[in-house]
Amino acid sequence: MSIKGLMTSIIAAFRSPVGRVALLTAYYVAIIGLLVVLYGKGDFGATEFVYQGF
Amino acid sequence: MKRLPHLAAALAALLATAAAVVAYTLYARYSENKYVHAVAALDHGEISRGIAMEQVALRQPDLLLIYGASELVLLETEYEATRFFSTYPTGFMVFNAATKGGSSLTVAQRLAALGPELRGRRVIFAIGPAIMTMAPFGDVAVRHYEANFSQLHAFALAFNPDLSLETKRLAAVRMLNFPETLSGNPFLVYTMRRLADPSPLSTAIHFLSYPLGRLQIAILQLQDHYATVEYIHHLSAAEVTVSREPRTIDWRDLLAVAAAEQIESSDSNPYGVDNSQWPKIKELFETPAAPGSRDADFINDVTIAREWDDLRLALRVIKESGADALIMSSPMNVPLWEVIGVSERAQNTYYDLLHAVVDPFEVPVLDGREWGRIPYFSMDLASHASRKGWIYVDQRLDDIYHRRLP
Repeated sequence: MSIKGLMTSIIAAFRSPVGRVALLTAYYVAIIGLLVVLYGKGDFGATEFVYQGF
Repeated sequence: MKRLPHLAAALAALLATAAAVVAYTLYARYSENKYVHAVAALDHGEISRGIAMEQVALRQPDLLLIYGASELVLLETEYEATRFFSTYPTGFMVFNAATKGGSSLTVAQRLAALGPELRGRRVIFAIGPAIMTMAPFGDVAVRHYEANFSQLHAFALAFNPDLSLETKRLAAVRMLNFPETLSGNPFLVYTMRRLADPSPLSTAIHFLSYPLGRLQIAILQLQDHYATVEYIHHLSAAEVTVSREPRTIDWRDLLAVAAAEQIESSDSNPYGVDNSQWPKIKELFETPAAPGSRDADFINDVTIAREWDDLRLALRVIKESGADALIMSSPMNVPLWEVIGVSERAQNTYYDLLHAVVDPFEVPVLDGREWGRIPYFSMDLASHASRKGWIYVDQRLDDIYHRRLP
């Protein structure tokens, strides 16, 4: 499917109430997914430092 | 749905996210349970500031969890407990959660972070005299504390429902002494300041912030699960293979072999200091010291050591969490301290204070005093176990696991 065809399908889907909610849901899930990718990784590894004793 | 498509979509997206979080958490817990015995035998520094694997380890009847500092991790030797017990020779293995630069303040937070999982579970808190006897003011070095600090541990302590407000307040006051560790998270700074302030208003604000605190912990725990699963995924097939080979250990034979190896590894000096440590401390031995000439300074240093207050804090966490904990101390290296002018009588101040601090909490303590004069037990002044010392420690761990001690 071409980009133009895809856009036409999306616009068509957006006109029906169910399609609209489905697309919006996918959009919000994508945003949440992006936030998880950007900020979701924690750091639980030992920090690099030279242990010099006392 | 027709009138509010955005609201319906947002709710659906949130539900889908919640379902994904639950599914991932279940998968992570499955992986952690499956590989905890493999991880116990490996260097798990990559996840040492999390709690997921330690919580799983606590539930394993054949794993003995140890917290502590460098006394139990500095020397790389086949006699170090995680290597020595890696084939479960007597039916158990050690999960060593001790870290270089660890201290009582770090351990207090790590134990508090385990939460209700800790109740009734056996853990060993391995301590040593190094911080009390050698660190300035007997306080944990800032760089050591910062290297071991974990936001997850700190939040989990602050919002642990099993801990009293007084214990949390004492912990918060101490944690605020290391502002760099808190500076990356304004909510953490705010939480610690509210906890440290005993006023009714601050206490009320702390309780009002509980939902936000629990949400922050849930996010950090999810990140912890992700880091742990990632760590597991990068292990090789050989690394995840756990073999169990029951056998009878001849401790006497092992001791002779390890002692011979340690003597060979200490041939750069006449004091039995390991060759790896001698360059760091040899200056202390350049000028002869009269016997007992440094007693007064030593006794003063040990007595005012701040680490004792942090140990009290860790003991409060242990008691209030209901842990079946045991304090296992490394010994003073008696002959070596005598060389630099500290008599055995003065050195015993460490043991006297150790019991004075621990005994009121009714937590069993094995002080290690009987090991203090054993040649080549410690490899330096800071009581790091040598190859020979590790054999004694391994035997002790075996006795503790099989309930022959204390």
